[in-house]
Order: sequence, then C-alpha cells, then structure tokens
Amino acid sequence: MDVDRFLNSAGSRRAFFRTAGVGLAGGSAVLLAACGGDDGGAATGPASGSTPDVEILNSALDLENTAVAAYAAGARHLKGSVRATGVQFLSQEREHAAALGQAIKQLGGTPTKTKAAYDFPEFKGQEDVLNFALDLEGTAVAAYIDALPKVSDPELRGTASAILTNEAEHISVLLGALGRPQVPSAFVIGGL
Amino acid sequence: MADRVSIADGEADTAVIAEYEVSRRALVRRGIAAGSLSLAAASIPALLRVRNAFAQAGDDRAIIENAVGLEQTAVFTYAAAVASGRLNAKSTAVARLFGGQEQEHADALTAALKTLGGTPPPKPTAPGDVPGMAAATGSARRILTFLIALEESAVAAYYDAHQKLKDAKLLSAGSAIMANEGQHLVVLRQALDLNPVPTAFATGKA
Repeated sequence: MDVDRFLNSAGSRRAFFRTAGVGLAGGSAVLLAACGGDDGGAATGPASGSTPDVEILNSALDLENTAVAAYAAGARHLKGSVRATGVQFLSQEREHAAALGQAIKQLGGTPTKTKAAYDFPEFKGQEDVLNFALDLEGTAVAAYIDALPKVSDPELRGTASAILTNEAEHISVLLGALGRPQVPSAFVIGGL
Repeated sequence: MADRVSIADGEADTAVIAEYEVSRRALVRRGIAAGSLSLAAASIPALLRVRNAFAQAGDDRAIIENAVGLEQTAVFTYAAAVASGRLNAKSTAVARLFGGQEQEHADALTAALKTLGGTPPPKPTAPGDVPGMAAATGSARRILTFLIALEESAVAAYYDAHQKLKDAKLLSAGSAIMANEGQHLVVLRQALDLNPVPTAFATGKA
C-alpha cells in the first residue's frame, strides 16, 4: 500500500485495512448502530482465527512507522515546549511499533520493515507539522477502530485499545497546541 | 506543486532521539508524579469496584451494565465538581463539557444495554454513593486529582472490557468512548501541570 495515498484519502485508508483482511466497520455508522440499539444483532464479533492477526498488526505497524518518520521529519520545525511534545510523541510511536513488531514475531509472522524513505509534504513551519500530525493521528485512530473488532486475540485487542487511546491523547495535545478545542466529541472515531 | 521532504530510513534515530534522551529523565520524573496519582486512585474503593466489576463481568450484557454504572458515576461526579464552586472558570467549563460527554456515553450505552435485555443500574444521587468523593472536594486540586483518578479507572475498565467483549459493534463503541476518556485525562492533567500523555499505552493502570 502506498502510504502517501493512504494518508491523503479516507477511502484509501479503508482499503488499506481491507487488504489486510479487515472488513469495513463503517466508522461512526457502526458506532451509532451499536449505541442506538436499532441493529437487531447483526454484529459478528471478533473473528475466531479466520482473520489473520499478523496481517492486521503489520498494517498497524506500517502506520506506526509512518508516524515515527513524520514526527522525526517535523520535529525540527517545532519550538520550545511543542518541540518537547513532538519528540515525546515520536518516542511513544516508536514504543507502539516495537510492541507490534514483537507481537507479530510471537505470532510467527515477519514485521513489515521501515520504508527506505517517506515522502511527506513540505513543512513550512510549526503549524504545518501540527496539522499533518493531527491528520496522521486521526487516521490512526480510525484505522485502529476499524481493525480492533477483527483481532481474534483478546490480549492484542487490549493492546490495540491502549494504543488507539494514546493516539487520541496525542490528538488532544495537538489540538490544544493549535488553539482548537481539545475534546470536540464524546465519541472519538478519528478520520480525515 | 509543493516540494517534498524525503526522510531516509533510520533518520528518526539520530538528532531528535538524542534530544529526547537528554530530556527523558525529566519526563520520567513527571511520569512518576502521574503514577503517584494513579496509585492514589487505586486506593479509592468505589473506583476499584467499578474496575473489578468490568474484570469479572462474564458476558457483553454484564460488561455494558457496568459501563453504564461507571458513566453514571462520572456524570454525577462532574456535576458535583461544577457545583462545588471551587474550580476556576476554565476548569468549571471543562468539567461541564466533560460531564455532558459522559452523559452521552451513558445514554448510548444504556440504549445498547436495553437491546441486550439489560437494565441500567441505579444512578448515584448523593456524594455518599461515590465513596472517596466527599473527601476530594476540599480544593480545586483535590477535585481535579479525583477526576483524574476516575478517568484513569474508566480507561482501565474499558481496556479490560476490550479483552472480554464479543460483539464487534460494542467493541467499536467502547473504543470510541475509551479514547474520549483518554482525551479528558489530557486536559485534566494539563490543568494540574502534569505530563498530559505520560505513557505510550493508555491502560489506565499505574
């Protein structure tokens, strides 16, 4: 999957996880169906071995590797406390990548490798970096919410929920740095 | 057409990481401070009961019933924080906003619970229904600390729930709510000048 296309298109993001064997959860529509109680029990539940967890985790790992590269590229444009925040988030994305890589190995898979180069838009200043990071984090949250119900291993679902919540926390900090409301919605579904 | 910046493989390991390592000790210290708050939260019986209820719940209906109870507790606690008059204007607005969002969670989960044939638990109606809350109302700092403890317990509860829920849609809903609780934590920690994101894995556990 071309990461650039993935980042620039919600449709591509959905397709990204579809190629990893993850059916479309439908984002907010599914959330409303679950919470509104009008579905009549159409939920399928987590896959029981039918969805390859390794492929899902490798898709997530690719996202995390992209986030690491993005924060590394953007950090030089950040200043003061925002820069400190950026490098902290970079470190946390690396922790996610390391954990996912380890989980993939434990499942007998091979972690997807970091790309030789990542092609990001030119950052002209701090605001560009923050907005790009915001899009990236929102994409990650949406992707994890799409993928999580399809992960068959309960412990991995827990780990995925802990990572996506961390990404949501990043979003709130980034929004604050941009002078925007930090918690705009009661249901965080990410997206572009 | 904008110029583009290509980041070669491995560049993330150089200057930026080095800078991070220089400041890591300070960040760790701040993380330890946040950890102390979590420890204080773990000593609050009501919050522990909520978490344990999640952990012990055997099916989706029981898990969602406990989630409704947790959200109702959060609604009540935020309302009490607003009514205390001890928060400044900014924190009062935050508490009012977050209380409204907790109500949205409660409403959505209650609707889901009813489709599962469940009944919502009784709502808290007095401070005594939330043990530990009365002792936490003496100052703005104590109130915010209690709210952090409450939100951390919520994150921990949803973390546990993600390992137990069977229904895919409930899992998605739980994820969206858990992420929102994490965002609440960011703002509350910032209000106390704590590291807003002290750990890479938001499990709600110290």
